[in-house]
Amino acid sequence: MQDFTRTTDETEIDRRTFVAQTGAATGVLALAGCLSGDDDEEDGDDPDAENGDENGSGEDYGDGRPTIEVEDPPNAVYLPTHREAMRMLDPIEAGDMMLGPMLSYPHDFWTIAGSGEDAVERESPDSGRGVHMMFTLWDQQTGTVLPVDDGVQIRVYDGDEQVGSPVSPWSMISQEMGFHFGDNVTLPEDGTYTVEVTIPPVSVRKTGDLVDRLDERVSATFEFEYDDEFRHEVIGGVQYLDEAEWGDRGALEPMDHGDHGEHGGHDGHDDHAHEDEHDDHEHGDHDSHDDGDHEHDHGDEHDHDSENGHNGHDDHAHVPYSALPRIDEYDGAILATADDESGADGVPTDHDSLPRSDDAAILAALFEDGSADAERLADDGEGDVTAGQYLLVSPRTPYNRVPLADAALSVTVERDDDTIVGPDAALAETLDSEYGIHYGLVIDDTQIEPGDSVTVTIDSPPQVARHQGYDTAFLEMPPIEFTVPEQ
Amino acid sequence: MTLPDRSTLSRREYARALVAVGGATALSACLDMSSGENGAENTVPSGTDDPDSLPARQYAWNEFATRDDKGNVEPPAHHVLLPLALTERATADGEPTADARETTESTLRTLERAYEWSTDGLLFTLGYTPSYFERFDEDLPEGVDLPEPAALTSREDPAFDEFDALLHLASNHPEVVLEVEEGLFGDQEEPERNGVVLESNLIEVFERVDENRRTGFVGAGLPTEHTDVSGVPDAVPKDAPFFMGFRSGFDRTQASEDRVTIDSGPFADGTTQHVSSMDIQLEVWFEQENHYQRVSKMFSPEHAAEELVGDVGEELGADSGLSDERIEATAADARQEGVVGHAQKAARGREDGDPPLLRRDFNTIDGDRPGLHFVSLQHDIEDFVRVREAMTGADLDVPSANNGILHYIFVNRRGNYLLPPRGLRALPAANPDA
Repeated sequence: MQDFTRTTDETEIDRRTFVAQTGAATGVLALAGCLSGDDDEEDGDDPDAENGDENGSGEDYGDGRPTIEVEDPPNAVYLPTHREAMRMLDPIEAGDMMLGPMLSYPHDFWTIAGSGEDAVERESPDSGRGVHMMFTLWDQQTGTVLPVDDGVQIRVYDGDEQVGSPVSPWSMISQEMGFHFGDNVTLPEDGTYTVEVTIPPVSVRKTGDLVDRLDERVSATFEFEYDDEFRHEVIGGVQYLDEAEWGDRGALEPMDHGDHGEHGGHDGHDDHAHEDEHDDHEHGDHDSHDDGDHEHDHGDEHDHDSENGHNGHDDHAHVPYSALPRIDEYDGAILATADDESGADGVPTDHDSLPRSDDAAILAALFEDGSADAERLADDGEGDVTAGQYLLVSPRTPYNRVPLADAALSVTVERDDDTIVGPDAALAETLDSEYGIHYGLVIDDTQIEPGDSVTVTIDSPPQVARHQGYDTAFLEMPPIEFTVPEQ
Repeated sequence: MTLPDRSTLSRREYARALVAVGGATALSACLDMSSGENGAENTVPSGTDDPDSLPARQYAWNEFATRDDKGNVEPPAHHVLLPLALTERATADGEPTADARETTESTLRTLERAYEWSTDGLLFTLGYTPSYFERFDEDLPEGVDLPEPAALTSREDPAFDEFDALLHLASNHPEVVLEVEEGLFGDQEEPERNGVVLESNLIEVFERVDENRRTGFVGAGLPTEHTDVSGVPDAVPKDAPFFMGFRSGFDRTQASEDRVTIDSGPFADGTTQHVSSMDIQLEVWFEQENHYQRVSKMFSPEHAAEELVGDVGEELGADSGLSDERIEATAADARQEGVVGHAQKAARGREDGDPPLLRRDFNTIDGDRPGLHFVSLQHDIEDFVRVREAMTGADLDVPSANNGILHYIFVNRRGNYLLPPRGLRALPAANPDA
């Protein structure tokens, strides 16, 4: 399998960059090839330790995994310590889907099972040998990234021998990668490994061009090389941010988009070019919002990027980034935030003016009965299509519009003292070919009117694992009150 | 087959590894080990010459097992599942011959003479697949629910047990299950136990389907002895009886033997058995989730929030601490908590509050990976399917990773069996009354 990530020259550039960055930042990171194998030596009766010695235990990551400690991060999305480097493999077909595999060094990340502090656990890989295996799944026909956890499985083989137990990778979000699946996978030694991925039917409610599709269990297989070169590449390609920025509110730009967004040459995503426009638009917007709740100046971020020549992704086969549509892509009425009951002024007009719940931006839109969108969104192919308004709630990350999937949301609509919908009517997690993953409700037995109050409650926060920078947000999410604006 | 290296393993690890390997040399090594430790090898109580003194139900194990101080049955420690295919010479016109039946029955009686019917001696069942019964012109009688095995979730793609029969051997003594297997299928000299030579012509009747031979173990502390196996992390709690770190098989979460018994027709005092074999992903379970998360996923979010479980389940008595309210709250927990427990979900498959399954599952390191052989007895296979659907929880509004322990189990095989009553255990016809 061909590796599209970098040519040798690019690797050299990255390494120089890396050395310069390390000097400027912390000096914590040592080159992979210079590491000591202390980790393994403590573990004398581990049979793998011997393999390690044969391979040269200095060749695993050891203490060389990039540091990710950020002191006292805010309870919000924040800038991590560094940009990741990874090897992106050729996307492969899996039935109607495409699967884009990406590999890096074993990562720290946070798993979540619930909403309180106890329900969050940081995974710190203790084995220096292995990979952080990731992949993005998308529908070939619509380009929709599939951001839901239905129990994907991976099995790793060394020839005919299965390596370790099967794994169900976590659904995860990261600033650079958006929504993806991933986990740390321990590997016994250097070599060529084969990965079999099986993907069960997508069981989430589906609308638009996804109705009655992706209902088959499918699988795909890819190979990768695990060796010294790989380790150098994924460690050496790491780029530290200036330490002063660590933990600042803000987010790294999407790897696939932000690298190019402001600087032209963004050439991928032929099949959904509108997303490119979003990005350009959004990046352009930033300057006007620096005085908002962005403490971090995104304009700088991009300059920084270009200085560093963070490249290497120009020529890989493109993997779509899971950004949701921009606010002006929604044809329905965007609901106003309740703080401003006049409606017009309170209607968010761009991403940055969306209300926040534990730093998640919450977009709510109402589609009128009879509109093309309402009809599409009401039709999930299951049973009779009931006509009515459609209420769509779309929580997303505050900078990169990554969907916050696998949460549970409910809604209460009130007019004066009457409850029109609810209380706490469950919204159905829905994957639409146009508006992506959202939480929706067909309003078929009543009518929501201008002036109605719409309270969205987050019953449980997005149960997706988080990379650094998303680990302290979207956890304890207060309700958001909207108002239906005058037409 | 190569034997495990004695020098690198504890006694119990070594015994477990020997059972997994099987065969005459493993048996010999196992006997050497037990006689070396005890001074005398014969510590296994002997059986009976009077077959009528034994229970009519092959699966009448509970009253021949010890119980813990909470009243929970302590299952036998060592298990072997021997898949069996009828030989051609055992059949005439496709149906088993009288000779084959006679050989099978006399073999089983030999085992009953050699070993006491108890966890300290030997317990066994012999069950038959739907494929076996297909050879007969008649159908199974009404009241026996034995469908072909099927995939039960959209994420699994299991192979099926399509051989004829399954012999489940269980004992607290590793050398017992080994020597029985060796006596039945080995080509060395027959072992002798308690003055009974384990001679048998069973090999004339059945071939052992080697690639589907399965082994395992259960008991406090046994799982942690496998931390040398790749995929078994050091973090498995020391006292845990199962790999996933918690007790299971609480008396009040188990069906009684009466509950699972077919009560009329020729197979009265029989039952159905489902056997599924699965990988368990333990590294992620122990190294990426904390105890709070594990308790939420194994029992319920309330168990975690109110600390009802203890480290390995020791705070729970003879039940899993699931109130009716907590079971009914499963769907609400999915939305409100974002996570539901395995036990909480599966309990939704209860009928009038009674658990329908009698679980006899055990952990394994077959294939050098941690796994589970899930053996359950129930009146109808449909009971199992219903509980499994409740446990799968496809109806719940919760992501897969937080849907009980689905994230951690990978089903590889399924098989359904009829365990006839003892009187019909030797190659029964599909409808013995016909």
